[in-house]
Amino acid sequence: MATVSKPPASFAITPHKLSICILVQVYAPPSQISVPFPFSSVSQHNSLGIFLISLTKACDGIFEPTVDELIDHLREIGGLLNHWLSDHLTRRLSSLSSPDDLFNFFADLRGILGGSDSNVMDDDQIMLDPNSNIGIFIRRCLLAFNQMSFEGICHLLTNIGSYCKESLSGYPPYEFSSNDPNVPSEFENMDMENFNYEKDSEDFEESSMEVGRIPYRGHASKVFSELDEDTNMSSSSRLGHVDRNAEVTSCAFSSSDISRSSNSSNGTFLHTNWQVQGYLSEQADAIEKRGSSFPHNAFESMLKNLQQLAPELHRVHYLNYLNSLHHDDYPSALENLHRYFDYSFGRYEIALLCLGMMHFHLGHPKQALEVLTEAVRVSQQYSDDTCLAYTLAAISNLLSEVGISKTSGIIGSSYWPVAGMGTSLSVQQQLFVLLRRSLKRAEGLKLKRLVASIHLEIAKYEITHVQRPLLSFGPKASMKLRTSPANVYKELWLSSRLINEFGDESSVMTVDGALCASWLNSLKKPTGSLIFTQENETRSNDAFQFSAQPSSIPGSVLQLLGSSYLVRASSWEMYGSAPLARMNALVYSTCFADSSSLSDAALAYSKLIQHMAVYKGYKDAFAALKIAEEKFMCVSKSRILILKLQLLHDCALHRGHLKLAQQFCNELGVLASSVTGVDMELKTEASLRNARTLLAANQYTQAAAVAHSLFCTCYKFNMQVKNATVLLLLAEIHKRSGNAVSGIPYALASLSFCQSFNLDLLKASATLILAELWLSLGSNHAKKALALLHSSFPMLLGHGGLELRSRAFITEAKCYLADPSFSVSDNPEMVLEPLRQASEELQLLECHELASEAFYLMAIVYDKLGQLDEREEAAYSFKKHITAYENPQDTGDSFFNILSSKS
Amino acid sequence: MASKETCRTELRSAVRHLSDRGLYSASKWAAEQLMGIEQDPSKHTPSHTRFQRGSSSIRRRFRTSTPADSSATPAAGVSYINTPSLMGVEEYDYDMMDSDFYMLAKSYFDCKEYRRAAHVLRDQTSKKAVFLRCYSLYLAGEKRKEEEMIELEGPLGKSNAENRELVSLERELSTLRKNGTIDPFALYVYGLVLKEKGSENLARSVLVESVNSYPWNWSAWSELQTLCTTIESLNSITLTNHWMKDFFLATAYQELRMHNESLSKYEYLQTTFSYSNYIQAQIAKAQYNLREFEQVEVIFEELLRNDPYRIEDMDMYSNVLYAKECFSALSYLAHRVFLTDKYRPESCCIVGNYYSLKGQHEKSVMYFRRALKLNKNYLSAWTLMGHEYVEMKNTSAAVDAYRRAVDINPCDYRAWYGLGQAYEMMGMPFYALNYFKKSVFLQPSDSRLWIAMAQCYETEQLHMLEEAIKCYERAANCNDREAIALHQLAKLHCELGRSDKAAYYYKKDLDRMEAEEREGPNMVEALMFLAQHCKNQKRFDEAEVYCTRLLDYTGPEKETAKSLLRGIRYARDVEHFPP
Repeated sequence: MATVSKPPASFAITPHKLSICILVQVYAPPSQISVPFPFSSVSQHNSLGIFLISLTKACDGIFEPTVDELIDHLREIGGLLNHWLSDHLTRRLSSLSSPDDLFNFFADLRGILGGSDSNVMDDDQIMLDPNSNIGIFIRRCLLAFNQMSFEGICHLLTNIGSYCKESLSGYPPYEFSSNDPNVPSEFENMDMENFNYEKDSEDFEESSMEVGRIPYRGHASKVFSELDEDTNMSSSSRLGHVDRNAEVTSCAFSSSDISRSSNSSNGTFLHTNWQVQGYLSEQADAIEKRGSSFPHNAFESMLKNLQQLAPELHRVHYLNYLNSLHHDDYPSALENLHRYFDYSFGRYEIALLCLGMMHFHLGHPKQALEVLTEAVRVSQQYSDDTCLAYTLAAISNLLSEVGISKTSGIIGSSYWPVAGMGTSLSVQQQLFVLLRRSLKRAEGLKLKRLVASIHLEIAKYEITHVQRPLLSFGPKASMKLRTSPANVYKELWLSSRLINEFGDESSVMTVDGALCASWLNSLKKPTGSLIFTQENETRSNDAFQFSAQPSSIPGSVLQLLGSSYLVRASSWEMYGSAPLARMNALVYSTCFADSSSLSDAALAYSKLIQHMAVYKGYKDAFAALKIAEEKFMCVSKSRILILKLQLLHDCALHRGHLKLAQQFCNELGVLASSVTGVDMELKTEASLRNARTLLAANQYTQAAAVAHSLFCTCYKFNMQVKNATVLLLLAEIHKRSGNAVSGIPYALASLSFCQSFNLDLLKASATLILAELWLSLGSNHAKKALALLHSSFPMLLGHGGLELRSRAFITEAKCYLADPSFSVSDNPEMVLEPLRQASEELQLLECHELASEAFYLMAIVYDKLGQLDEREEAAYSFKKHITAYENPQDTGDSFFNILSSKS
Repeated sequence: MASKETCRTELRSAVRHLSDRGLYSASKWAAEQLMGIEQDPSKHTPSHTRFQRGSSSIRRRFRTSTPADSSATPAAGVSYINTPSLMGVEEYDYDMMDSDFYMLAKSYFDCKEYRRAAHVLRDQTSKKAVFLRCYSLYLAGEKRKEEEMIELEGPLGKSNAENRELVSLERELSTLRKNGTIDPFALYVYGLVLKEKGSENLARSVLVESVNSYPWNWSAWSELQTLCTTIESLNSITLTNHWMKDFFLATAYQELRMHNESLSKYEYLQTTFSYSNYIQAQIAKAQYNLREFEQVEVIFEELLRNDPYRIEDMDMYSNVLYAKECFSALSYLAHRVFLTDKYRPESCCIVGNYYSLKGQHEKSVMYFRRALKLNKNYLSAWTLMGHEYVEMKNTSAAVDAYRRAVDINPCDYRAWYGLGQAYEMMGMPFYALNYFKKSVFLQPSDSRLWIAMAQCYETEQLHMLEEAIKCYERAANCNDREAIALHQLAKLHCELGRSDKAAYYYKKDLDRMEAEEREGPNMVEALMFLAQHCKNQKRFDEAEVYCTRLLDYTGPEKETAKSLLRGIRYARDVEHFPP
């Protein structure tokens, strides 16, 4: 169709480039003086040179500045010269009115280049080295101009006209005062990318990655980039007339009126395909990272414009898909996903993979599983091993994330990847087989990122699952029915070791387009500092050097590395080492905050705040929560909201504010999705809390019923770790209902669960409850109870939270008091010391019920000892706490009001 | 409706007005309709009338079958007011003598030298001159835009080339409109400008204004129709009653896929314009969409007899011939249009269809490609090309072609269906479902779509039989000609062990086969199942009837039937004389 020959290089002359050429002419005029005419000092001359170098480097960016922006930049560096420079620039530009002017201009431009072999330079003659940065730029411009068709020249003239018109008719030139540091942000605002790069400069930036999200991020971007390379290849062979290696949009389009009618004075220049691709992949990363806080509508309209300008750029649809996906717009996401892959010419298995991920992300596990099974089938059919590996990893991720009690109901066909193993296997065993297989596959294909993320996945599996023999017949190898932390840490180590290898080959990994887009960003960064360094011109050097390379390790790899720390944190949380859990979360937040997504950051915050609440009391925790809430306001479906409800519930329970507690608990339950198997964590959490609330209200039968049904659910969905907690709760319920004998089996069951899953802290608290149960069986069991208690004292005191510690202390005191062979008067401190400790910690926690118990015991002891003053004091404290517990609405109401009114 | 005589006089002057202003296609349309009115026999030579009568015989045959013909006259309450302009049709002739300037400009215009024409008229203030100047500028801008589009085309497709005259034209025309010194023709140009600038609502009201004051400009109506993409937007505009409005509504209904409404409108219009080729072609289009291929064929045969060099709408005729596998008729048609004008997208499409019918799919694709080169937005060529690629098993290319079709018109259910089919071919039935859903949503009355979707659910990979049953039920409810649905329903129910339901559907299928006098393996299967079922239900008489019918067939069925009969007799004996 197109008869006009296109410039072959990925370089097109735009008015902006012409302006640079004009400035270069000023910088290097063919004159004989060492400091040419308009410049008064060498340093002034040099600063223009540095500015020009940065401009020539940035000219591969996607958006070019308008002439006004260029003039503003000039003002900053030009100092006294700025008027002369900008006048000269506009004068020269407006003097170009006919094609012949352009020809003459470029003929002149050739004059400033030195000879190619001119190593010998005249001392007093300024010649531009043709191999320097600026020299190459000039040569590229000359080449592009020489190859331009007459039509191209006409269009260039039109573009120059509108480019100049902007500077004349646009807003009145900016009054720049170098005292005002806020000024540059204003013109940066006009830049499109700007909205993505507002820095989150909040003071404490801690983030963690939700366990299990990793592979999703990992592949989505990976698959995407692979696919992209592929589509580029296939499409270049397909469209004969389009040579993607020499991608060129033959001209820069000034689309100011279309793209941003609000910003009339702002011209956008769309460049080569290559640059747009770079921009788009950058945006894709930004969307995946920031999730729902990404500006949906603004980006959508921007994509719309892009699509109008370049209808054959189908990747826009993918971005549209990502954008809608992260804003939970199901129909639009579906539509765009299908459209993108319809245009992708083959590799439809990736379409299925993405579709599966989409359903997974939006919480449709059934459809996700269907689609992913189809993806397995199709990638086998087309022998796309890479895609198969990713799909298997996705399925295993799905299985581990979503509670599925039986796969056979969902997938009845023989295509199910582990169908060969027979349906006798439980979901968990299938998951185990799947993980092993996909690991092998990924290792065979040398997909490092995938291998790393599968290792992580295996680590997570090992944390919560006991290994069982896969075969139900034949000679059984003797197996310890325990989880093995050593394996977990081996997997974690393997995962991070693989990631470290990326450091070496990173340069290959970066997409070129992203590089040039980042050039433009970095150009903006120094301008702010330029204002300050204006006088001190030697330092402006540094400002330009600041425009650094993008980070050498790809973002997705960093994310994986970060998530391995998060897995560590949650594993320690489970094994019961609070300090180690906290430390890992902190490592994550300090080292990986930049590369993590907002929702993961929110998760890390919630971990740390929860830790704070358990170990430092609610006051600090709520203060931290407030900061977190402000930071993550924009994130929908936030972990922070869940955390807030959890904290409020705990707090209300401790204070005896049962109605409020019930309300918070219900609110928590509502947050979970109604689809079976989705948000299992949240659902179990809510019903656990419900049982606790009922227990606090002394409604034992109901509490027990809730706990029982919860146990059944956990059993059905194979949530063994949760079962330990539920059993412990049941023991507690029986204890409180005065039925200690029937409580003991539950406590013992919980103990054995804890043992096989290595849940040390939970085991300690199970022992504590066991001790309490024995104690309540009569004073003759006091010694046994004490022995039990002392056996788990190190764990309880070393890692337990405030409540657990004080309960241990109180129980210890009670054991002594109940022991007939123990006499208080002989050894008062044996009892008083733990009670004092307990009361202090409980006051910090505002746990009135337990505190009153501690003070009651104290009063009795003092009474026995005959210390009346102390007795009165303790009795007074007891009364204070017991009234506070019984009339919760009198105290601290304002506290809840503040928090709940904000939600 | 206005009398034939009024229509005739109105159209006569309209043709003059329109061609005088360079609105050629509108004037062509008006002239066609003028000739479409039955001629006054007193004013014409007998030979002329004989020709007309002879050619309409076939049409009469078909028209008698449609009762809508007689009842199509409007309800008594609707009074067709004469539009204000009607009182002085001559008003649009203004001064009988055009100024010399205008004549020069018009000559330039006719030679396609638009800018020159506009320049000549730069100081003229008469309404006619203003119109021609604006129209010339608009066309000049369009021409330049087309050129720029090719010059600026980058690797990523189109550029943002735009008509540079739009801004100034909009400014001028909006002032004119505010002053009230704008005539309906300039309003039409204003509507064009607004539509291209993207302000559709204003464009719609401007065009409504234009057609209300000058209803005979068909181009204005067509533009208005493209702006009424939903039934709501169609209902929101207020049009004065004029017989031209019926033409408009008929097209609009057709585009909104209300084919029956559109058909009755056209049949009503045919009472006045009984010889209009245009109306005939439109009726054919509606019938085609209702899948009444026989009628379409007859209409087109007659159209070609009356107007042998016609190319418009002939691609549809070729589709019909393709569907009916008329090799020679299709080749004849292809030859004819090719000699008339080979560089029309329709011609290329017809040739493409011919090659496709011959099974030469590569050549066929080549001609569809050519059609698309001539008109990139030629919807049916994209879809047909998709079909060809499916035939060639090049599914990726098919998907691409279909996707382009739905991106041009998201209501094209054929292309959605094609997409689904292509993905199903690639072994991705679950992925394909999404597309089938789209297509049945757009055309819920087409049983073929429901059947395709049901088969997709039925594939061994998905095996979602309940959903398949639902789809087949829908298909059975909407006139399933090939009677696949009933049989499949019976089979599926049988497979799921619901023999009652299976028997119900087998019986229904059997009745239908009897009514249509069809035989075949389905018949045997139905009889077999029913015989067995009735026997199990202890309805022996019925079972015996089915068995005896089975005895008419040869093969293993006969033996089975015999043993069944024996079993029935034995069971009866047991029943009557329990041991």
